[in-house]
Amino acid sequence: MQNWLKISVILLTGLSAQSAAAAEGTRIKVTGEIIDTWCYYSGVMGGPDAVVGSAHHTCALWCSAGGIPVGLLAEDGTVYTVLKIAKDAQSAGGDTQLSLAAHTVTADGMLYERDGLKYLVVSEVVSDMDIVNPTHEDYGTVPPFSFPEPAQ
Amino acid sequence: MMRYLLAILLCAGPVSAQDFSEGSEAKTWNLYAEAPARFEATVVDILCELTGDCPQDCGDGMRQLGLVRTADNVMVLPMKNSQPAFTGAAAELAPFCNQVIEVDGLLIEDEDLGASNIYLVQRIKAGDADWIKANTWTKKWAERHPEAAGKGPWFRRDPRVNEVIGREGYLGLGPEADETYAEENF
Repeated sequence: MQNWLKISVILLTGLSAQSAAAAEGTRIKVTGEIIDTWCYYSGVMGGPDAVVGSAHHTCALWCSAGGIPVGLLAEDGTVYTVLKIAKDAQSAGGDTQLSLAAHTVTADGMLYERDGLKYLVVSEVVSDMDIVNPTHEDYGTVPPFSFPEPAQ
Repeated sequence: MMRYLLAILLCAGPVSAQDFSEGSEAKTWNLYAEAPARFEATVVDILCELTGDCPQDCGDGMRQLGLVRTADNVMVLPMKNSQPAFTGAAAELAPFCNQVIEVDGLLIEDEDLGASNIYLVQRIKAGDADWIKANTWTKKWAERHPEAAGKGPWFRRDPRVNEVIGREGYLGLGPEADETYAEENF
């Protein structure tokens, strides 16, 4: 085998191994808020600071119930798309993720990375601190109609 | 020799920043980082793809589904269907579990927020069939919730959402916080 071909085979083998390794999970424990990923990534409702916490709680419920992926927004700004929480694999509208909308939690689980996104399979919610981010004080409710005007 | 190596590496590595706008008829949502994108892809259950936990029906619309693009093997994450109603894409794609389809919609790439390969699907084409709109979520919700029939959008009538709001309030901080907010803002 010519030398260049040997080098090519070695490089390709290395790339294949890298791709396979990307599907292997890494155990992590991470703390952050359970967010609505679409509003966060798309900016459809405003900037990222406005689509978290109490300001966005109702919208986060709507999006979670509507089957939009939920994420865990870590303290360092990393977003982990949540695929499973404990035994509940219903990541598109499931009850467990709905119950945690806008809550800050510490989660223990497995991290998977693929094509620029991080995915989290939560084995256990170690702690649930409820909503700790009172963003309505700065932004009102986002979107505004998520808090309906009280009947007179 | 280096030319051969370069060619092999280019073929083997992931193709990044490709333009998939050719032939797209996607409608703009006026999003900061949107780009029209039409491509062929295989519908996959993401949890299955990453962990090997693979129900036959990809979760029947209750799991997040991915679109593994034929052109470059990149797994795109479809988050939204075409309805402006807080509705996801999994229910639209579930009937095509493990099938190769063509999709048309908007790709979101925003490096500042870590958004990569995020997608809003507007149309789906399976084989020789005509394009169909990815807008069936609310119809499927109505079929699952006949008890919630009535006027107004689904998200005002959803029993699970209303149960949480009834308990935690619109702000999620309890009824007293809601009362204070209403007094100050209406």
